[in-house]
Amino acid sequence: MVLEATMICIDNSEWMRNGDYSPSRYQAQADAINLICGAKTQSNPENTVGVLTMAGKGVRVLVTPTSDLGKILACMHGLEIGGEMNLTAGIQVAQLALKHRQNKKQKQRIIVFAGSPIKYDKKTLEAIGRKLKKNSVALDVVDFGESDDGKPEKLEALVAAVNNNDNSHIVHVPPGPSALSDVLISTPIFTGDGEGGSGFAAAAAAAAAGGMSGFDFGVDPNIDPELALALRISMEEERARQEAAAKKAAEESTKQEKVGEQASSSQDAAMTEAVNTSAVVADDKKQNLTDDEAALLEQALAMSMDGAKSTSVDIADADMSDATAEDPELAYALQMSVQETARDSSSQSEMSKVLEDQSFVSSILNSLPGVDPNDPSLKDFLASLQGQSETQQKQKEDESEKGGDK
Amino acid sequence: MASVVSSAIPRGQVDLVDFVDWSGVECLNQTTSHPLANALKQGYRDDDGLHLESDADQQLLIYVPFAQVIKLHSAVITGPEEEGPNTVKLFANKEHMGFSNVNDYPPSDSLNISLDNLKGMPVTLKYVKFQNVRSLTIFIEDNQADGDVTKVQKIALFGTTVDTTNMKDLKKIEEH
Repeated sequence: MVLEATMICIDNSEWMRNGDYSPSRYQAQADAINLICGAKTQSNPENTVGVLTMAGKGVRVLVTPTSDLGKILACMHGLEIGGEMNLTAGIQVAQLALKHRQNKKQKQRIIVFAGSPIKYDKKTLEAIGRKLKKNSVALDVVDFGESDDGKPEKLEALVAAVNNNDNSHIVHVPPGPSALSDVLISTPIFTGDGEGGSGFAAAAAAAAAGGMSGFDFGVDPNIDPELALALRISMEEERARQEAAAKKAAEESTKQEKVGEQASSSQDAAMTEAVNTSAVVADDKKQNLTDDEAALLEQALAMSMDGAKSTSVDIADADMSDATAEDPELAYALQMSVQETARDSSSQSEMSKVLEDQSFVSSILNSLPGVDPNDPSLKDFLASLQGQSETQQKQKEDESEKGGDK
Repeated sequence: MASVVSSAIPRGQVDLVDFVDWSGVECLNQTTSHPLANALKQGYRDDDGLHLESDADQQLLIYVPFAQVIKLHSAVITGPEEEGPNTVKLFANKEHMGFSNVNDYPPSDSLNISLDNLKGMPVTLKYVKFQNVRSLTIFIEDNQADGDVTKVQKIALFGTTVDTTNMKDLKKIEEH
């Protein structure tokens, strides 16, 4: 947690239009800078960061060292790409900006992103490096983009001249599949001389490494272990139920998939409600959950349509108390399904009526917090329900097991 | 340099090393292996094996704040014959100077260190300029041989405090 004032020098020259770093060199640079600013301000709340551009019309300070992360990120918008990078002037202006920092106790650091060719010779750079060392300013250089003859050596010489007790670093990033920021996260530029910032870096790495898709259920077990556990348990329970239902359905021979559908959708509802009450409201997480539920619903429906469903009524009984507490409409539906199984073919028509009532079904679905009624898979399911209830009425007397017209 | 002269503290003056505010002491362009403490701190400064050395070039900028206001009378600056400091400028009460603005202000005093001084003879300062000193900035501009590295063995400051309390004489009172 070193108390530090940092000036970041951005290369916004013409060479930054190149796309060898995705999406473009400039964009990769901007992402890396955003991450660095976050890491610096997080590792010590009194740290300040400033930004300047080296190309364009000339060296221009966008924001003087401040601890306000919002201000820093905002000033990076709408930067124009063009011109040629002036490395020496950029470093000198950065040094001046650091000299006039408000808190003199902060150590001084300059981070330079060097993406375009360097027209200065080694001697000039070394002289600048010595001047920085004399004024106890540390320097980090990110060498990316153009790699003409001598650029890496020049930058190495510069950093060596500044280096005092390993406080200055240089990183060479060749173009490749991984993003510039990902490569930088593991370097000392981020981890700050081996201490501090590593917590942020680890979290950033976790987020960067494929975001949610890296983990089951879109939840990082490190961030929220209880939620991850709850999701995993309910998923396993659902699978177990479905397997049991499938087994029993295969054994027995009768009945209404309507009851089965209703029962299994109530199971799903119970599960999804349990899931959703504990879910943190994050947009993409919610999206993941919705997709999972839709998949689960379809799965459950497919299974229930395969076999007869009087069996699943037993399971429905077990769930009923839970579901009842959460949703009166659902309870009503369940009641009806239970009543139907007690009766015979007459119940079929009632059930079909219930399901025919499109608005009723939609209202049930709407009441389920995680379910998106506009989900296409749900719409298909509802449409198939309609079709099924009609066929059922035709085949009323048949007690057919099938009915899975979709 | 344990020879001759020196150690003869001018009458009435005290060694101000006790009044230095160590948390604010800074030195620019020193090597990490030979820091300022070697020249300034009691014990270290008398050790011949320890000295202060410059890094990138021959200049050194030393900032010494004091815990209380003092009057500065004289100073002892010792070092090797060749690499010892030559031109030394003193600035009173100027905070956080850098090498770039060190020539913007006239110094409170400018010293030319002779070889005798380097052996330990105290340099008398312009006392009138140092009547009310909260912090002292010592700018060592070059060394005797005009080489790239300046070495300083010892820096000792002598003077008096503004209020006449001699902190060493202040004994803790157990009972009133």
